[in-house]
Amino acid sequence: MGYSFDFQSIAFGPLLDGLAVTLQLTATANLIGVVLGFPLALLIMSRFAPIRLPAMLFVEFFRCTPAIVQIVWFFYCVPMLFNVFLGSMTMGILALGLNLMAFNAEAYRAAIQAVPREQLDAGIALGLNPLQRTLYIVLPTAVRASIPVLLTNGIGIFQQSALVAIVAVQDLMYQAKTLATETYRPIETFTIVALVYFAVSFPISQIVGFLERRRQLMMS
Amino acid sequence: MALDFSIILRFQEALALGLWMTIKLTLICVVLGCSLGFLVGLARTSRRSLLRAISGVYVEFFRGTPVLIQLFWIFFCLPLILGVELSNLASGVIALTLYMGAITSETFRASLKSIGPEQLDACVALGLPRRVQVTNVILPQAVLRAVPTLLSNCVSLFKESALVSAVGMADLMFVGQNISNNTARPVEVLTVVAIIYFVIAFPLTRAVTLVERRVLAKLAI
Repeated sequence: MGYSFDFQSIAFGPLLDGLAVTLQLTATANLIGVVLGFPLALLIMSRFAPIRLPAMLFVEFFRCTPAIVQIVWFFYCVPMLFNVFLGSMTMGILALGLNLMAFNAEAYRAAIQAVPREQLDAGIALGLNPLQRTLYIVLPTAVRASIPVLLTNGIGIFQQSALVAIVAVQDLMYQAKTLATETYRPIETFTIVALVYFAVSFPISQIVGFLERRRQLMMS
Repeated sequence: MALDFSIILRFQEALALGLWMTIKLTLICVVLGCSLGFLVGLARTSRRSLLRAISGVYVEFFRGTPVLIQLFWIFFCLPLILGVELSNLASGVIALTLYMGAITSETFRASLKSIGPEQLDACVALGLPRRVQVTNVILPQAVLRAVPTLLSNCVSLFKESALVSAVGMADLMFVGQNISNNTARPVEVLTVVAIIYFVIAFPLTRAVTLVERRVLAKLAI
């Protein structure tokens, strides 16, 4: 091949700005997803159908449609439907945050169901009311059990956050696209950016693996 | 604002064509990706460290980067490196197959691990050659156990296939965006597109649970 590499012409400044935006998106979306995913999990496990069904529909809708459709939908439809005009950053955070919330709710649900029945019985025997049982027994056990999945979902949303580039939020992917077109250096730019994404998500996925192995050891 | 969903009817043929592209792409990549995934899964459990290292790097890299950037890389960089023009469909198939191969290899690896060492001991005791071990002992069990996770991998692939719209392939998402831009009716068109994706993906996710509970329980593995 007659292609000569030229990594000199890649400007790192915009890429770093983009990475900052990406990390900010990821962090905020994770905050929303981790905090609000738990109450959502409680809603989908509710005994009352009028509460359970809308919550389940919400979760399944986010889990069964492509993230790119959700993001484009948010950017085009929310302003038109509700007549609100939010900044593109807020919009991106909202779309990613709700998506993650749905995925985390499923993770929490599995963990909540795995809380041993005896523990709840013990809670009843101790005279704790349902709220106290949820807060002091279910929450700590379930959160700890779901940490690996929450982290995996967190990396997932870090990767999905690249999609906001399509709706012109200036994240890492967007800067990469701009840079690749400006410098005519797609190979160098996209390779570097891919490595940046990899460098962030790989250590976290290793931590997940470590936590899972430790958990298995503790179980056995 | 007044919503007018009847607008969809005027474009149903275009949407159907887009959907067909999405389904075609998904099916091709499911077949190719699963085969690749099984081989890579075997390579990752191989005794040869070189094979393990190469397959490990491949899987970690494709799982550790956004699919969008993989797609861009293959659309814009692979033709430059190979020096050949790749059609849209070919690039899309390559990108999604590599992605699917990476995620299914993890599925296969987990199911391969679940096959007890005594099975392999039995193979050795029976004097089965490696090829027979793989095709007649390991493959059937690994595939059966992997079915539920593979199904959810397929759902993921189906969803990720919407990304090819970003590089100009005329799939369901691309057609939907085009229509919504031309008619200035994003709410109706994009909602319908989302519902189409949902209607296909949702039964598949239910099937995962069904397979887990019924089929695997019946086979008692």
